Amino acid sequence: MAISDDASPEDATVASGSEDAVTTTQDSDASGWSAWPVRYARDHIVHLVVILLFAVYPGLYHEATTLPDGLVIPLVDVQLALVFQSFLPQVTTMTPILYFGLFAMSFDFISGYTGYLSFGHAAFYGIGAYFVILVANGKIPLLASGTPFMVSLVLAAVLAALIAVAIGFVSFRLTGVYFAMITLGFAQVFYVFVRGWDWVSTTPRDGVGVSFATHPEGFRIGIPYLDSASYAIGRLTGSGIDNFLGMFDLSTNVVSFYMIGLVVLVCYFLMQRIIHSPFGRVMIAIRENEERAEAVGYNTFYYKLGAFAISGAFAGVGGALFAGYRRSVTPENTFYFLTTGDALLSSIIGGLGTIAGPLYGRLFEQGLAEFLSKGSEGGGLLPLLQELLSDSLLGTNVLGLTIEEMIDVFINGRASLYVGIVFVLFVLFVPNGLLGTLRDRLGGPIAKVVPDRLFGGERP
Amino acid sequence: MINTLLAVAPELVPLALVDSFIEFLHPSELSRVLIDGLSKAAIYAMIAGGLTLIFGLMGVLNFAHGSLTMVGAYLGGAVMVLMVSSTTGPLARVAFFFVAVAVVFGALSAVGGALEVTLIRRLYDRPPIAQILLTFGLTLIIDELMRIILEFYDIQPRADWIAAWGTKPWFLSQRLSVGPISVRGIALFEIVMGVLTVAGIWAFLTRTRYGLFIRAGSEDSEMASALGIDVRRVFTVVFALGTGVAGIAGALLMWDTHWGASVPLGAETLLPAFVVVIIGGLGTFRGTVAAALLVGLVDAIMSWWFVNEIKFSGLPQLTIFLILVFVLIVRPQGLFGVEEVGGH
Repeated sequence: MAISDDASPEDATVASGSEDAVTTTQDSDASGWSAWPVRYARDHIVHLVVILLFAVYPGLYHEATTLPDGLVIPLVDVQLALVFQSFLPQVTTMTPILYFGLFAMSFDFISGYTGYLSFGHAAFYGIGAYFVILVANGKIPLLASGTPFMVSLVLAAVLAALIAVAIGFVSFRLTGVYFAMITLGFAQVFYVFVRGWDWVSTTPRDGVGVSFATHPEGFRIGIPYLDSASYAIGRLTGSGIDNFLGMFDLSTNVVSFYMIGLVVLVCYFLMQRIIHSPFGRVMIAIRENEERAEAVGYNTFYYKLGAFAISGAFAGVGGALFAGYRRSVTPENTFYFLTTGDALLSSIIGGLGTIAGPLYGRLFEQGLAEFLSKGSEGGGLLPLLQELLSDSLLGTNVLGLTIEEMIDVFINGRASLYVGIVFVLFVLFVPNGLLGTLRDRLGGPIAKVVPDRLFGGERP
Repeated sequence: MINTLLAVAPELVPLALVDSFIEFLHPSELSRVLIDGLSKAAIYAMIAGGLTLIFGLMGVLNFAHGSLTMVGAYLGGAVMVLMVSSTTGPLARVAFFFVAVAVVFGALSAVGGALEVTLIRRLYDRPPIAQILLTFGLTLIIDELMRIILEFYDIQPRADWIAAWGTKPWFLSQRLSVGPISVRGIALFEIVMGVLTVAGIWAFLTRTRYGLFIRAGSEDSEMASALGIDVRRVFTVVFALGTGVAGIAGALLMWDTHWGASVPLGAETLLPAFVVVIIGGLGTFRGTVAAALLVGLVDAIMSWWFVNEIKFSGLPQLTIFLILVFVLIVRPQGLFGVEEVGGH
């Protein structure tokens, strides 16, 4: 079976449990690596570092942006705090990056690993999002409006998976462009339907939200029915935690960031686990050479269908998190084909065919968008330039516009122009994306290569 | 016949539906639906025509097609707004429109040619997804540049451009009555333009030497280049031509009150264009025209039923995608498509 290098398992430890058992008994005295938690930590060192970075980010951001006035960059005389404010995305930007990143990952799961471009993936994101809101509004039969968020989240994933099976059953008879188009067709059917169906809300075109009258509290992530083991998410309705670990006060934004991050993390590991299982190997075989996979004896249709259902379920979770955090959804930001387009963008920038790549792609893209966007709250380019450049330079007249006006016209809020340019450059020159290129440079999946380099030699 | 049917099994046919059906068959209604359908078909054929030319020869699914249509709408509108004053007579306006079409075609062909030479040419040896991605990125860039230009001139990019509507000659903005039949003037104009464009492309493909090269290139580009045809140049010309046709479609749409010149026009036209191309079968111009007719007529008929009888305002827009799904299930390669084209 043709399996490319990048398909080799990132966490071989877990993938081949029985083999490990044998090696462990043999080498148990030879090295200090014998205890399985140590080995596990070693193999997942990259994951741990990344998780840690995400975990400390809110605190880091807070510290960096509130540095005392005295700290300036020499020569240019710019406040350090202002530089950080301009370049670092806010925590309120990071939360959407997480749940949309999950959606982009799920898109990559099917498109990057089986090679079937699912251009209608927004359908599953939309189903997850609408389902959660409709349950909360008591519109779904058998489910009370007070159903815990975690329950409706899981049900949303199941529903999205079922619909993925139905769509996939028809669509996987096609390949290539035709597959992309039929899935797009299905998603647009959902889009138009939800947009016109007044059962959804009285003004379906504008979407639907959860009212504060029936749900004064935010949706809770954690163990359902157990308030002490779950926290509410949402920009206004989330729970804040005072005196966390006896040291920090966590604001509602930060709690939402952590709770959503937790769900995304679990989903990431599940997807990674599936990719590195025999099932995932067959998915990659389908991408590399479907006819050969079939000749070897796999019924690729069922594998594709299964992969599509799994991918749909995770997209549904992403949508549910989005709805839970935002408390309102519109057809445009869920079912519309440009939502899939955004996921595609993130996947390409991050690296198609790498599970974590789309998250970094989204981070990159949204970071750029915030850096170039209007609004003074999150910092951005304009305040930085105002500080950096002298007033006389900003007032200089070039072609009938002052420099400041030019910045306002061509840069401020024009993120999609630059994201587009970056995207085109990526397609032309970095076809494997950020993570894919890094992987090629290192000669293997990062999570596998880095521990080997760090601790030397082969895994004990 | 219907009466006998009712007498036999009254419970099988709801009475209201029969009434609707009789109303639908009334000559004035039926002709209105037919004209509507043909005008829709003409628009679909125009927005999909360029796309299918490009795909047929080059295998490039051009995602920027809708955005280029949008640019054509604004460019055509700009030409009209600059040339037409309130005293311009209706025939002069139509004449100016053809000037605008020529300008748009020239300008967008140049843009298309430049895009092909500088960007798309680099990707022919990559998998087809690379071209989809590249043109998708171009869409973002073109749309945002257009927004910058529009906001600079204080034109609202999301709303339809009213000033461009105003340049329409009076007989295109009213309903014209011919005997018992009353039709929208613009619908007739769209049918004429659609027929002209389709006939033009058809003649170009079948009656000119370059058309021969293109057909040879679509058939077997390796063989064509072995026979001495400069396939690279043919690719550039076809891409230029395809974007030029997209521009003409845009120039026409700026006058139509259902569409109008706006930045979202790009996305609004891209999807139907794709659907029509896919239904017709990738790479066959004949199939695209047939699919445009099918989709236009079914769309018009369904619209009549949903607006007048079933009262679900969202459903007419659903039709085109339902046709897509249905056709792909029944005939995966499209109406006139060849099985291998566009596959994995």
